[in-house]
Amino acid sequence: MEPPIAQAAGHNNHIVSVYEDRVQITSGWQGQKVEDIGHKDISTVEVRGMVNCTLTLEINNGRVYQIGRMARPDARSIKTAIELQKQKAGLYE
Amino acid sequence: MRRLGLILAVILVVVLALPAVAFAQDAAGSEELQFVANTIWVMVAFVLVLFMQAGFAMLEVGFSRMKNVGSVVAKILANMGIGVLVFWAVGFGLAFGEGNALFGAEGFFLAGFEPDGIPVSLFFIFQAAFALVSLAIVWGTMLERTKFPVYLIFAVIFVGLIYPMVAHWVWGGGWLSGLGKQDFAGSTVVHLSGAMAALAGTLILGPRIGKYDDEGRPQAIHGHNMPLAVLGVLILWVGWQGFNPGSTLAAVPEIADIALTTNLAAAAGVLGGIVMSYAYRRNVDVGMAGNGAIAALVAITASCAFVAPWASVIIGFIAGIVMYASLVFFDNIGIDDPVGAIAAHGMGGVWGTLSTGFFATPALSEANGGNPGLFYGGGLGQLGVQAVGIVAAGGFVFIASLAVFALLKATIGVRVKPDEELNGLDISEHGAYGYAESLVATDHPNGNGSSNPAAATAQSRE
Repeated sequence: MEPPIAQAAGHNNHIVSVYEDRVQITSGWQGQKVEDIGHKDISTVEVRGMVNCTLTLEINNGRVYQIGRMARPDARSIKTAIELQKQKAGLYE
Repeated sequence: MRRLGLILAVILVVVLALPAVAFAQDAAGSEELQFVANTIWVMVAFVLVLFMQAGFAMLEVGFSRMKNVGSVVAKILANMGIGVLVFWAVGFGLAFGEGNALFGAEGFFLAGFEPDGIPVSLFFIFQAAFALVSLAIVWGTMLERTKFPVYLIFAVIFVGLIYPMVAHWVWGGGWLSGLGKQDFAGSTVVHLSGAMAALAGTLILGPRIGKYDDEGRPQAIHGHNMPLAVLGVLILWVGWQGFNPGSTLAAVPEIADIALTTNLAAAAGVLGGIVMSYAYRRNVDVGMAGNGAIAALVAITASCAFVAPWASVIIGFIAGIVMYASLVFFDNIGIDDPVGAIAAHGMGGVWGTLSTGFFATPALSEANGGNPGLFYGGGLGQLGVQAVGIVAAGGFVFIASLAVFALLKATIGVRVKPDEELNGLDISEHGAYGYAESLVATDHPNGNGSSNPAAATAQSRE
C-alpha cells in the first residue's frame, strides 16, 4: 500500500488521507468505516478556522464531509494535495 | 619583683581575653559550619529532586505503549537540556531576581545574586530541578501523539517565562507572597502550574486515536509495563524526600518533621487510590494506587511544613480520592490524559493548596509564614488567600499555555500524522523503536502486531 501524499487527523478518530487517485476518510473507533472518494468526484475543498480548523469536502453528488478540530497546517496540506492531484490529472481543464 | 608583677599582669590579661577570642572564633566557626551543613543537605536534596526525572521517565514509559517509549525518554532528556539552560539564562532571574510584584528583573545568568544560607549556584540548580519537575508534568498528558518540536518550543517558553512568573509571585517576593500565601514546596508553583499547562495542551491536542468509541465513551488504552510505572512512582516518592524537606534550604531539625508529614500523606494517598479503585471498579488498579501516592505527595507539598502528622494523613487520603474522581471526570469529558497527571498533579495541587487553609497550625504558621488554618481558629482568611493563589496561578498558566499551544497548532501543528501515531512515535520522530522491533506491537496494518482489523480489511479490499 502506497504511503499517503498528505494525511491529517480530525475529530472523533477521523483520518483524512490523500493518495494519487483518491481521498480516503477513515472513521470509527477502530477505523472500521473507510470511504474512498476519487479526486474527480470532489467539487470543492475548503479550510475554515485558525486553530481548530474544519476541512470541508463537497462531492459532486451533493454530499458534504466536514472534519473538524484539524490543525491549520494539516488541513491546508490536505487541501493543497487534493488540488495538486486534480491539477495533475487535468481535472481543472 | 616588678618583673614578676608584670608577668602576672600579662598572664591575667591573656587569661581574661582568651575566652572572648575563643567565643568569637566559635561563633564564626558555627556560622561557617551551618553554611557547610546547609550546602551538603541542599546538595543531597537537589540530587533527589533531579532523580525525579528518572521517576517521570519510568512512569510515562510504563503508561505508554511499547511503540512510543523511545519518544518518552528522548523528550525527558531534551527537556532537561533546554530547561536547565533557559532557567539559567532567563527563568531564574525572572523568578528570584529583585523586581516588582509580578516578575524579577535582574539576576539573569545568575549575575548579582548574593548567597543567603547556601551558595547561589546551589540555590539555582535546586530551583532548576523544580522547574524541570513542573515541565515534566506538562508532557505526561500529551504522550503518544505530540510532535517533538512542540516539546522543545514549549519547554523554552514554559521554563523561561510562564513558570518563573508564578514562582516569583509565590516564592520570589511577588504579590501572592505579600498576601501570605502558603506553598512550602510548590503544590501551586510546581504541580498546579504543570498540570494547568498540561490541560491546555491536551485540549488543543485532542485525544489519541482510538481513545473514544463511536458514542464518545472513553476506552482504556493500557500502558505496556505496570512494574515500570510503579518503579516510576517509587522513584518519585524517594525524590520527594528532597523535594519537601529540601525546601527548608537549611540543615535544620524540622526536615525530619517535614519528611514525616510527607510520607504519612503518601501512604494515605495509596490507600485512598485503592479504596476508590475498589469502590468504582471492584478491583485494585495498580496505576491508580500509584497515582494516589503521587496526588498525596503533591497535596502535602504545600502544607508539609504547616500541618500536624494526623492532618497529613487526612490530606493524603483525600488527595487519593480526589485524584480518582477527577480522573474519571476528565476521562468522561474527552480529556485524554494517559498518565493521569491532570488529576494527580492538578487536582492534588488544588486540594493541597487549600489544605493549608484548613489544617495549618498556629505554631508552624508563625514559624513558616501565613496564618493558621480554619480548623485552628484562623478563620477563612488563609483559606481565601490559598483560593486566590489557585485561581491566579492556575488561571495564568492555563491561559498563557493555551495561547502558546494554539499558536503552535495554527503554525506548525502540534500533532503527528495519523500513520505516525499508529506506527508509534519512536520510528517517525527518532528513527528506532525503544525496544527490539520484533517485540513492538503497533496499531497500524503496515506495522507488526496489527490491532486494527478494520483498517487491515480496508487495505486488503484494495
